[in-house]
Amino acid sequence: MGPAIYLLCSAAAATCAYLLLQAYRRGGSRLLLWSGLCFVGLTINNLILVADKVIVPHIDLSLYRTSAALVAMTVLLYGLIWDAER
Amino acid sequence: MKADLYPMLMGAVAMASFVATLFFLRFWTQTRDPLFLFFSAAFALDTLSRVALAMSHPSDELEPFYYVARLVMFGLIIAAIIQKNRPRRTGRQGN
Repeated sequence: MGPAIYLLCSAAAATCAYLLLQAYRRGGSRLLLWSGLCFVGLTINNLILVADKVIVPHIDLSLYRTSAALVAMTVLLYGLIWDAER
Repeated sequence: MKADLYPMLMGAVAMASFVATLFFLRFWTQTRDPLFLFFSAAFALDTLSRVALAMSHPSDELEPFYYVARLVMFGLIIAAIIQKNRPRRTGRQGN
């Protein structure tokens, strides 16, 4: 059950990133770009989660995956604060 | 050191997620575009799940269920984009 949920999280995050970046490429607002980049980071976060919990459970990767999530959210906040109105 | 950093990082991510929730809520009140409401709900859910994960120490068996909330969050974002891309009806059909 656990590995399936972790894998689904990664696949769903990657789908979000793809849909958002595709919408931006079709001429959407800059907010779609920042949101898409955020979800690229959240995909990396969830891929490290899969590695942490399923592939190498004996190695603690919690700091790496949480750092990836923090970078992803920081990118989104940058876009929301500086670039959303353009 | 490592044990201290994890809750701090999780707290920072949860705070960032909460700020994103408020931004998207503000955009929704300004535009009434349901896309922003979906995004706001998704990041609110993400905030709650990260706070829950940081504050509790779930067992290996229980931990995956905390990530179901994250799965729902991603589902909300996918639903929002699909709903946004769906062609709108003009409302004049059949007249």
